[in-house]
Amino acid sequence: MNQITVRRLLFLWNSIRKVYSFFFFMGKKANKTKIFFIVALLPVIMALIIKLNPIFSGRSSTEGIYIFSNVIIVFYLQALILLLALFFGTSVCSEEVEGKTLTYLTTRPVSKSAIILGKYAAYTSLVILMTGIGVTISFLILNVNKLHDFSLYEILIRDVIVLSLGIICYTALFTFVGTFLKKSILFGFVFGFGWENVIQYFPGSTQRFSIVHYLKSLLPVPKIGRFSFLMFKLEPSTPVAAVFMLFLITGIFLGLACLFFSLKDYIFED
Amino acid sequence: MTIKEKGYAHWDGEFLDKKFPWWPITRYGIKLTFRRKQFKFIFPLSLLPAVFFLAGIYVSERLEDFPFFGRETVEFLQINPSYFKAYLASSFMIFLIVIIVIFCGSGLICDDLKHNALQLYFSRPIKKKDYFFGKTAVIVFFLFILTLVPGLVFFIMKLVFSGSFKFFVSYPWLPLSIIGYSVVVTAFFSFFTLFLSSLSKNRRYVTILIFGTYILSDIFYRIFYDIFSNHYFSLLSLRANLQQVGAVFFSQKTPYPIHWIYSLLVLSGICVLAGFVLKKKVKGVEIVK
Amino acid sequence: MKTVIETKKLSKWYGNVLGLSDVSLQIEAGITGILGPNGAGKSTFLKLITGQIKPNIGSCTIEGQKIRNNYHFYSKIGFCPEQDSFYEEMTGWQFMTGLLKLHHYSPSEIKAMTKEALEIVELTEDKDRVIKSYSRGMRQRLKFAQAIAHKPEIIVFDEPLNGLDPLGRRKIIRLIKSYEEEGKTILVSSHVLPEIEAMTKQIILIHQGKVFAQGDIHYIRDLIDTHPHIVSIKCRNPRQLASTFIQEDYVLNIHFGSADNTLLIETNNRDKFFSLLPSLFVKYNIEVDEITSPDDNLQAVFDYLVEK
Repeated sequence: MNQITVRRLLFLWNSIRKVYSFFFFMGKKANKTKIFFIVALLPVIMALIIKLNPIFSGRSSTEGIYIFSNVIIVFYLQALILLLALFFGTSVCSEEVEGKTLTYLTTRPVSKSAIILGKYAAYTSLVILMTGIGVTISFLILNVNKLHDFSLYEILIRDVIVLSLGIICYTALFTFVGTFLKKSILFGFVFGFGWENVIQYFPGSTQRFSIVHYLKSLLPVPKIGRFSFLMFKLEPSTPVAAVFMLFLITGIFLGLACLFFSLKDYIFED
Repeated sequence: MTIKEKGYAHWDGEFLDKKFPWWPITRYGIKLTFRRKQFKFIFPLSLLPAVFFLAGIYVSERLEDFPFFGRETVEFLQINPSYFKAYLASSFMIFLIVIIVIFCGSGLICDDLKHNALQLYFSRPIKKKDYFFGKTAVIVFFLFILTLVPGLVFFIMKLVFSGSFKFFVSYPWLPLSIIGYSVVVTAFFSFFTLFLSSLSKNRRYVTILIFGTYILSDIFYRIFYDIFSNHYFSLLSLRANLQQVGAVFFSQKTPYPIHWIYSLLVLSGICVLAGFVLKKKVKGVEIVK
Repeated sequence: MKTVIETKKLSKWYGNVLGLSDVSLQIEAGITGILGPNGAGKSTFLKLITGQIKPNIGSCTIEGQKIRNNYHFYSKIGFCPEQDSFYEEMTGWQFMTGLLKLHHYSPSEIKAMTKEALEIVELTEDKDRVIKSYSRGMRQRLKFAQAIAHKPEIIVFDEPLNGLDPLGRRKIIRLIKSYEEEGKTILVSSHVLPEIEAMTKQIILIHQGKVFAQGDIHYIRDLIDTHPHIVSIKCRNPRQLASTFIQEDYVLNIHFGSADNTLLIETNNRDKFFSLLPSLFVKYNIEVDEITSPDDNLQAVFDYLVEK
């Protein structure tokens, strides 16, 4: 790699860092982040109700880790991270165009790719942080009487990593959708709550045309019966292949987002 | 009197007794909704279930011409109040209603907040209730086309196809049920949509709130039901509450073994909360602290 | 003088709507006013110059380099957009420092530059308030500040005086004129003619997406031979003066002004008219109080060209 390329990459990296810090700071304080943080904490309320119910009803409780892995994590996977990634992913570009603030960014000495990548990274970090806090608190509540069992923390770490990968991948997809389509939310709903659910019913390789397939391949397959409405027929890929595909999908959609953002004219509506 | 009360935003003149002062707001809201390209495609599609159900009413009078129909299909095509409930209170219809209100309702108040249009509205001789009524009427227009109109058309066409008033004599209260349920579902979604629309200036955010609230409420119910096997958790689900109330209107057995009054209370509670927030949020002048 | 900004056959369409058509210009250092009514294409022109949008036909270069996607160049350019949009939940200070961070300055430099820019636009006292609470004038000044904070060599202002009170306008006009003395290249667009006249004599007239005229305002005025000049003379015996002009073939029209002693004469040969005027005053012993050319200004030029 010659010196010019290295310098360019270094400049790009610095630009991404600066854009990241600008939007991470702004996103942290935004009202919408606070609202979505509360949404991301809904499973905590669920966990509290599940944990406290045996105290009031006198019935024996279901094992905390079972509920955590088969309810809380799957709820995040199938619904919450989709909603969060859809909003924050499409916001990367759409927010600047709708708010007419794009000009302030595109008249700075930072490349358009750096703007997209920096803002994407900032919003992804925020969503991972929100989700991570919700997952961790839910885990602690559900396993409050087994916190000394360190083997359980492996499950927590694994699940947080899987959810983070999901957030990274979905946010990249929706970032691309936001740069490409004007009305990106409808596409997001159709993809996230339509395609991602329906395709899982299809046997064989067709399942591999969804992001959720690769995420579920990284989780243990649940027993059929309870909560079966949350997990569909799964023919998992290997973990290595799943991680590779998730990063590949992320890279492709981020690359496309940078390309479209650099080439497209964004006209502000009066 | 402080400036924020007297200021530039409020109409100080005489309020003349004018018929339908809210009508221009409604008319413009409907026009704007139809301008959206995706809506022009989705709205006719949303009427397809009505077309199929209407075809079912026709077929029900000519069942002898369709001997290949299975027993279940024949049972379903016995046109009675459950047939009407199957259309109006089905999960699919409620989902369609959510999609339609996203298009016609998500921007109703949030766009006004975004463009500071509230000051323009309240500097005209219209009252707050006219503003709300005008906005609500946009949602009512589209939801009635989806619910009330097809429901009444089904009833009328049943009488026409059967060639007698026997159906009316058997179920004279059915038109009132159709009207009543349509009004309840429309009123609920009007309050719900306007409330969420008033929470933000960003239409995308409001769209996600509307859809997310609907989807998550249902998921929560199913999770809690699976864990606790307690039907009272159905009160968490907007869809389930609407179906409970719908069953009562059509004199059918409620889908969940809890008293329907609880569902009605939940829906009413959401409407009251929505009304309270709307009254606070919608004002001519915004004071930024 | 060296050309700083050059456009060649620059054209832009928005679907079927023409934004700009066949604009070929060379702009030098100093202040150039872009003048035109609403919808003329001024903002389109400025967006093309600053690389916000790409042209359908033609090219635009600054100091010989293409600007679009040439992001390194933006350290030399400052742009004050027309739209009143901000990151509303930020304070003025956060907004300025955040944008300056993107210029890769050190934290101490950013702090100093932000402080200086906010002092220039008199927003120091309000720097810690959220932008949402700013008045229209404060928001405009903040926009101005973010365009000048990094001391660019080329500054583009799209309607910079919108929303400012008369005092604010004077200050900003004075500030813009001071940049000319520093050798910067300034482009200012406006549809308010006195504003442009107060800042510069070099104008570009745009209307319906086309450039109607470019250059010194007086030079443009003189070029318009076909458009008659109006001369206003205030004297004690306007009717006597009028009778002397009636016979001259280069006098097209004579009006008596709203004040009793004012005469408005329309002539298609201003030079001949003015050369003969003193001799007529002496010959007929007419005492003159005032002679002016009401249409020797930007408004008249603009009105004429736009109506054409």
